[in-house]
This record gives sequence, structure tokens and C-alpha cells, in this order.
Amino acid sequence: MRDATTTAATRPTVQKIVRTGISLHKLGVFCGLSAAVWLGSAEAPTKLVNEGFSPFLISMGMVMGAFVARWTIPTMLKGTGFVFDDLREKPHLMVWALVGGMLWAVANTLTIFAVRNVGLAIAFPLWNTNSLVGLFWGCLLFKELRGSRTKDWVKVIGGAGAIVFGAAVLAVATAQQNAGTPGKAAIGIIAALGAGVLLGTMYIPYRKAYISGMNPLSFVTIFTFGELGTVFLLGWIFYGGTTPLLAELNRARPMLFWPFLGGFCWVIGDLFQNYAAKYLGIGRGIPLSNTNQLWGLAWGALVFGEFAGMSNSGKLLITVGSIIMIAGAVSISMAAPPPSEMENWNAAMHRECDRYGLDRENVAAVVAGNDPLADNKHPRRWWEILIVCVASGIFIWLAVGTRAQDIFVNIPWMVVLMIGTIVPLGLCGTLLWRRTRFS
Amino acid sequence: MKKSALICILTDVHLWVPVVILILGTALLMTLR
Repeated sequence: MRDATTTAATRPTVQKIVRTGISLHKLGVFCGLSAAVWLGSAEAPTKLVNEGFSPFLISMGMVMGAFVARWTIPTMLKGTGFVFDDLREKPHLMVWALVGGMLWAVANTLTIFAVRNVGLAIAFPLWNTNSLVGLFWGCLLFKELRGSRTKDWVKVIGGAGAIVFGAAVLAVATAQQNAGTPGKAAIGIIAALGAGVLLGTMYIPYRKAYISGMNPLSFVTIFTFGELGTVFLLGWIFYGGTTPLLAELNRARPMLFWPFLGGFCWVIGDLFQNYAAKYLGIGRGIPLSNTNQLWGLAWGALVFGEFAGMSNSGKLLITVGSIIMIAGAVSISMAAPPPSEMENWNAAMHRECDRYGLDRENVAAVVAGNDPLADNKHPRRWWEILIVCVASGIFIWLAVGTRAQDIFVNIPWMVVLMIGTIVPLGLCGTLLWRRTRFS
Repeated sequence: MKKSALICILTDVHLWVPVVILILGTALLMTLR
């Protein structure tokens, strides 16, 4: 499609860099688990939203917060110069990033229908099957697990299955406390399964981008436009026009800080999830990040006291479900791809290089976490300071005068979980920087 | 974007799979609404 020399021309100072240290598999596992921590914690701020607002509006607030964060974090970490250079090298991938964002927006809206009709407890494990869908697409389209040993197949598929089963057990336990809305169960189940298929399919653009050598920070910058645009379009349809939608957003102004904060946490989790998809593949990375249910549960149970007075059988189910989920994550973590599988990963990468005229050597280096451009200094621009200031200003503006629901909060446990959330960020962020320079 | 690039994108199965799922998902959403 394009002359590879043209691509190389945009990399004038390409040099071979081989960083050593932690293996990419281990790095991917850390990213997957850190993603789970942050994606699970993203639910916590939304619990402080006062009643009387639709879940769709809360979701829209999270997407707007995510939009702000998705521009700010890549700008702070790599600068807009790096992101634009990366996008200029692989412009075709912007199409996939937009489609990925649109898939997420539709899937997330389906989850709202599912929760409304059958309750979170039944809906969550149903859409958690997205990891199995992702595993299927990873194997079919990107040759993941192909050429792998039987024991690795068993570890990965068994681990992913255990995580979905563990989610179902946790759901049964929490259902004892939170019964779903009666009626319309079939619609809720269909919506949850549909969300699972869409979310699982969303990982196709992820994987496509990363075997083509795109940086996750560049990918999410474009992804967010598809996401925000689709959410606003759906909001426009559901609320019956621009004026009612804006009026509803204006009414929600005093509580918008909380979903914005949730969106911010969610972006950090999603970034780790993207790095996990890059370095582990979607078959292994997504099931790991789907253990976020454990963290959401920890916040609900320990900080918000949601399960106070739960029966012994309920506590036993939660313990068993958590252990099954952790066992699934451990199983996947131990299934590093053997050389025979890596040959298939490389074949999928070469397919992209040949089809879109990408430089094989450069793409291979980026895929291996050794992006030659990562060490190049990109001059900082004045608008990068502006982006960070505007983003901070929006959060401060929303925080001033915000109101929180008057609910029980266990402060000591909140501090413990906040430390447990920040430590993986520092640890995994440092590992990513040292090993890949966030490439 | 060159014409050849556009053809490569439009004939890529990696695009059609998510696009078809997106269309089906949107149709499902509109039905449930």
C-alpha cells in the first residue's frame, strides 16, 4: 500500500535499541492486573452520585471525564509531537480506533439496559463473557494460541473460563443483597450478552493497532472521539434532541464530578488494559483485566458496607468466587507463549506490514517494546500546557459545589484500598517506563 | 489517503468483523429501546 521507505523517512534517527529487564509476558501480566485494580476502582466514585439520575447520564458523565483524561495523560507522558508522529505513520489505524470507541459506547449503553432489567448481579457475568469472545477473535484473526502447547491452551482457556465462572458465583452471592428489577428479564439477558459480544469484538481494533506498532497512548487518543461522539448521538436519540439532553446535563451539574472522577480512573485502567492487550495478546490480557469485579466488590463490601448483615452462605460464595477468579488469573499468568506461538504472532504482524506498507523492522521493534522513537526527544508545545490546564480546570470547576450522596463510608478501608490502587500505578508505570518507555 | 490505501482498509476482514457486530449491536439497542 505504501512504500516502506516513505515510512522510514519519517523516522530520521531510527536506531536499534534493545532494552532488557522484565519479560514482556510478565510486564503484560502486571498491566492486566493493574488494569483490573483501576477499572474496578472506577466504579467507586459513581456510588457517591445522588439518586434521581439515570444510569445513562452517569455513564455519559464518565465518558466525558474519560475524554478529558484521554487527552491529558498521553500529552503529559509523551507529548503531542510523539502522538501525532505515531498517527502519521499509521493513519489507517485511526479508522479502527474510531470503530473501537463506537463499539464501546454501544456496548456500555446495552449494559445499562441489562442492569435495569435483570440487575448488576446477573448482567455482570453475562457481559464478562467478552473475554471468551476476545479469545475467540484473537485466535481466529491474529493467530493467538496457534502453535501453542496443549498445556498452554488448557491454562488460557481454563483460566478465562474460571474467571467467567468466578464472576457468576460472585454474582449469585451479591444477588442475595441486590435483587434486580423484576420483569423484562429476557431483554436484560439479551442486552447483557450483546454487550459481551460487542466488548469482546472491541479488542479486534486494539490488537490490530498493537501488532502494527501503534502506541497505546496514540490509539486511545483517537478511540475517545468514536466513544464520545457515539455516546452523544445515543443521548440525543434517547432524550429526544439537543435541548432536552443539555437540560438534563445541566440538572446533573452538581453531581458530574463523581462520574468524571470515575472516568479518570477508568482511563488509567483502560491504558493498562491496552498495554496488556499489546504485550500479552487479547486472549490472555483481557481475562486478567476482567478480574476488576473483585476490586469493585472490595470497594462495595469494605468501604461502602454494602454486604453488612450478609448470610454465612453469601460470604462463603463470595470467598469461593474470588478464589476461583484468582486461580483463573494465576493460570493465565503462567501461560507464557512458547516460540512456536510467537512465530504465529509474527506472521500476523507481517500480514499488517505487507498489507499497509509498514516497515517490518520498525514494527517488530515497537511490538517488542523497543520503539526507536521512544527515546527521541519531542519538543514540548505550548498547547500541551494549555491541554493540561484546561483538563485540571474542568475537574476543579466540577469539584467546586459538588454534592455527594449521604452514604456510609469506611474511611480506614478507603485509605487501604486507595493505597492498594496507587501502588500498582507506581509499580507498573515504572516497569513500563523502564522496559518500554511507554511504547 | 491514497486510493490503494482506502481499498486495503475497505477490504480488510479486520474491519468488517467489528463493523458488522457494531451494526448488529446498534440494531439490538434500538430494538430494546
